Amino acid sequence: MKQLCLVIFLFTSLLCLSQEKFSISGTITDTTNGETLLGATVYLKNTNFGASTNEYGFFSLTAPKGSYTLIISYVGYNTYSQEITLNGDQKLDFELQESATSLDEVIIVAEESETVSIKKPQMSVSKLNAQTIKEMPAVLGEVDVIKSIQMLPGVTNNGEGSAGFHVRGGAADQNLVLLDEAIIYNTSHLFGFFSVFNADAIKNIKLYKGDIPAKFGGRVSSVLDVRQKDGNSKKFALNGGVGLISSRLTAESPFFKDKGSFLIAGRTSYVHLFMPLIEDVKDDKISFYDLNLKTNFEINKNNKLYLSGYFGRDAFDLSGLITNNYGNATGNLRWNHVINDKLFSNLSFIYSKYDYNIVLDFIELDWDADITNYNLKYDLGYYVNNNLTLDFGVSGLIYNVNPGEVKPSTETSSINPLKLDEKRAFEGAVYASAEHQITDKLALNYGLRYSTFSRLGGQSITNYVNNQPVVYNSDLGIYERGEAESETSYSKNESIKTFGYFEPRFGVSYQLNDASSVKSSYTKSTQYLHLLSNTASVTPLDVWTPSGQYIKPQISNQYAVGYYRNFNDNAYTLELESYYKHVDNRIDYIDGSDLIGNNNIETEILNGEARAYGMELLLRKNKGDFTGWLAYTLSKSEQRALGGNAGGPGINNGDWYKTAYDRTHDISLTGSYKLNDKWRFSSNFVFQTGRPVTYPNGQYNYEGLSVATYANRNENRLPTYHRLDLSATLTPNRNPDKRWKGEWVFSIYNAYNRRNAASVGFSQNNQTGLNEATRISIFGAIPSVSYNFKF
Amino acid sequence: MKNYIKTLFVLTSIIFSACEDVIDVDVDTAETRLVIEASLDWEKGTTGNNQTIKLSLSSPYFNTQDITVVTGANVVVTNMNTGDIFNFTDENDGSYTTNSFEPIIGNTYSLQVSYNGETYEATETLMAVPEIKEINQSIEGGFDDELLEVNVYFDDPVDEENYYLLNFYETGDLFSFFADVSDEFVNGNEVYYFFEKEDDEDNNQAPFQAGDTVDIELYGISESYYNYMRLLIEQYYSGGNPFSSTAALIKGNCINPTNPDNYAFGYFRVTEVDVATYTFE
Repeated sequence: MKQLCLVIFLFTSLLCLSQEKFSISGTITDTTNGETLLGATVYLKNTNFGASTNEYGFFSLTAPKGSYTLIISYVGYNTYSQEITLNGDQKLDFELQESATSLDEVIIVAEESETVSIKKPQMSVSKLNAQTIKEMPAVLGEVDVIKSIQMLPGVTNNGEGSAGFHVRGGAADQNLVLLDEAIIYNTSHLFGFFSVFNADAIKNIKLYKGDIPAKFGGRVSSVLDVRQKDGNSKKFALNGGVGLISSRLTAESPFFKDKGSFLIAGRTSYVHLFMPLIEDVKDDKISFYDLNLKTNFEINKNNKLYLSGYFGRDAFDLSGLITNNYGNATGNLRWNHVINDKLFSNLSFIYSKYDYNIVLDFIELDWDADITNYNLKYDLGYYVNNNLTLDFGVSGLIYNVNPGEVKPSTETSSINPLKLDEKRAFEGAVYASAEHQITDKLALNYGLRYSTFSRLGGQSITNYVNNQPVVYNSDLGIYERGEAESETSYSKNESIKTFGYFEPRFGVSYQLNDASSVKSSYTKSTQYLHLLSNTASVTPLDVWTPSGQYIKPQISNQYAVGYYRNFNDNAYTLELESYYKHVDNRIDYIDGSDLIGNNNIETEILNGEARAYGMELLLRKNKGDFTGWLAYTLSKSEQRALGGNAGGPGINNGDWYKTAYDRTHDISLTGSYKLNDKWRFSSNFVFQTGRPVTYPNGQYNYEGLSVATYANRNENRLPTYHRLDLSATLTPNRNPDKRWKGEWVFSIYNAYNRRNAASVGFSQNNQTGLNEATRISIFGAIPSVSYNFKF
Repeated sequence: MKNYIKTLFVLTSIIFSACEDVIDVDVDTAETRLVIEASLDWEKGTTGNNQTIKLSLSSPYFNTQDITVVTGANVVVTNMNTGDIFNFTDENDGSYTTNSFEPIIGNTYSLQVSYNGETYEATETLMAVPEIKEINQSIEGGFDDELLEVNVYFDDPVDEENYYLLNFYETGDLFSFFADVSDEFVNGNEVYYFFEKEDDEDNNQAPFQAGDTVDIELYGISESYYNYMRLLIEQYYSGGNPFSSTAALIKGNCINPTNPDNYAFGYFRVTEVDVATYTFE
């Protein structure tokens, strides 16, 4: 706490330095649809005074008294300028007109806002807007946010068709995924083949791979900040698309006499309609849908309300034997309040839930699990002066985890009802951070977050003999469950265990010249929630568990340095970063761990650690008919778990071993070429080292079977993965005055039909009795066509 | 039971997977170890006097030769409760036999194998098993409602945690099918398990049809043997599937006290087993 006071003191002392200055504040929106513009720049010509808009399109700029030319720019939009006389604080809202090229839907100039600012200290961040994501070729034509960020350096997937993503050698559960600030616990549809984000409802996404601002916390690897569109506040608009897998429709409109607007977007798959036609899957049903909602209402100039929500669902029915459905639901009510010209505030009340249900008809078992959280937070932005911006706030979050409830699904079922202990926890945080321009060339970003976590009572905790939930059996050389000794019961208003950590964040940038800069950053972050998964790929059935008596919070320290350069007046940009990350208390699973339906997870895990380091290169071409980027990542990601309290050498003999998401080389190349007003061509190329796996190193005969033996974990790798995707977009010539605008997208995923191994299985041939290795590949060359429209 | 839940993912990945093919893969080769297959199973209704223990050596994963049997070892089983000693005779073909074993439910037995100057040891308790109550066939049950499956029923005792191993063997097949069962969700109830064969031409597997004969064995097993078989079964049937647990070496209970690194593969189990045969109608 003392450190926090010190930082606040530091801030306030700086405030006294300003004098005889006035500020201009307001919001910047798009003329045609009224969408707020994020990251637009506002500056005074021929001065150093400037600012950029925040997540709500708000800016505040302070300068000495005088007359200026105010310039507002945002790439893809016409630059706006206006003479102003600054002799008092002023409120000015601006609307920008999309540049002429916007008559067709193609933006030729890549968004400048997607490139990292040379001047600002923020590093390790990648921005993509919906247009860029939509231009990339996608599996079966399904535009996919999660797959598109995997084209960025430092981001990989865990095998084709698997859920989640991995940032800088971190695990999938270490990413904080926020949709309009609400936590999304599972980002995938169809077990990972598609993502839950409907690109039509998304304004832009920001991925922090490191240098995470102090306002974010709770995950140690990255933050994926996805923002939904506000809804057209100028006129009614419809857009949608028809694809092979799903169809989309989005409606947006102003309402309440232009005081507000809304957006409602729906997407639904219809694979299940075709499945009866295919013999192998005729009795199965697979489907998903999702709904996005966003509305806003302007009470007055200084007060605005936002309500956003998401609801998505997946349903499986395998011949009536196994039915499974799962999904996320979120809601967020926000109140934007401009306290004064320099002080912007946002109060949010956020709800998130993820749940799944399985019914196994053939054993008459019904299984439910869910995680729910309620979050109240208050964030403030204080635009102190031209050189200093402060962000500070508080947040309180309550978690309710229901790890599993088993019920008989019929009256005749032999299944006994079972309910695993519900777990409750509170996570609180207070933070303050500053973006501080020290000199013309030197800028700092510094902040501090203090987070606290209480595992709340209302359940019993098992105590073990010698306080060992896991014990090493030195005779057999294996880890075994500890012996339960007693139980301690905690009442609802008791706290089982409380943690508290300071999380300093620091960044510095130094501009070498007009076109290049160097930056460095340090981030400490804490993660109190863990996803239990002992499989190579994350599944929708994995259970989240809060820290507590036996599971400690994960703590990461990340250090990064980077070099940034623009060429030819921003036509090309180069970003080069290198990082080292260490995570303490990463849980690891003992050999043969059994997580399903386990009330005492602590008997299956050891406390481990993880480390990752690497180098990332991103070369972008931002202007011209051809745009795109080359991303290359050289990295290593490892983990280990020593025996510790359980005794023994630890998992994998206590040696460091490669994580399943370690990729030595990862090259992604993506490009888009505009031939003419009618045709645009895009392509992706991906080349990466195969996923680490464990292959057998021998066999023995037991009960007539050939039993495989294994050495250390993840010592082998699947074959190298590479793939080329192509797509062509046809925009038929139309009268530009017509409201209906359509485009056809033709694409081929995996164009040269590479049989990439999703996995290699080892089994004994039924005929010969000999062992063999079987490669499973998921996607061959997949052609697809989809039609998108706007009205 | 839990295998079923995992089956969900295996099935899902099959729906999406475009193709499966056999490929050549380079694998490492570990040092050879002794393999002890000491399964002292007391079949209900017999004396249980005749028992066989098999010894062999492990081999490279893609080995195409016959397994190497181990002869010349000294194999002794001791009842730790009574002190009775059972010496097994070397049959010179990798098997060691006795015709004087005395199984007693709940008694603990130890195994000692001396081979090549090393001594391997294991202990295990003889677990009881309930009778197979009923066996029938159906079409609608199982994974596929057009294929025949055989259903096995037995009553789980209510007072303790029980672990079972089921073995289905269709006459003429190369391999048995094994299933591990615990009473975790069904304690004290009637337990039922089905076995259905899918139609898989690639793997030379045909569904059951009238006239097919299946041997069924239900073993009562210890918790540690259950853990061993659970892993073995998971790895054997879904090894390499991204939704199965990370593959790891499964260690049995045959240790080498003087040279711990030189432990043996395999297991020393002592069980009661109920055996039945079912012919499809």
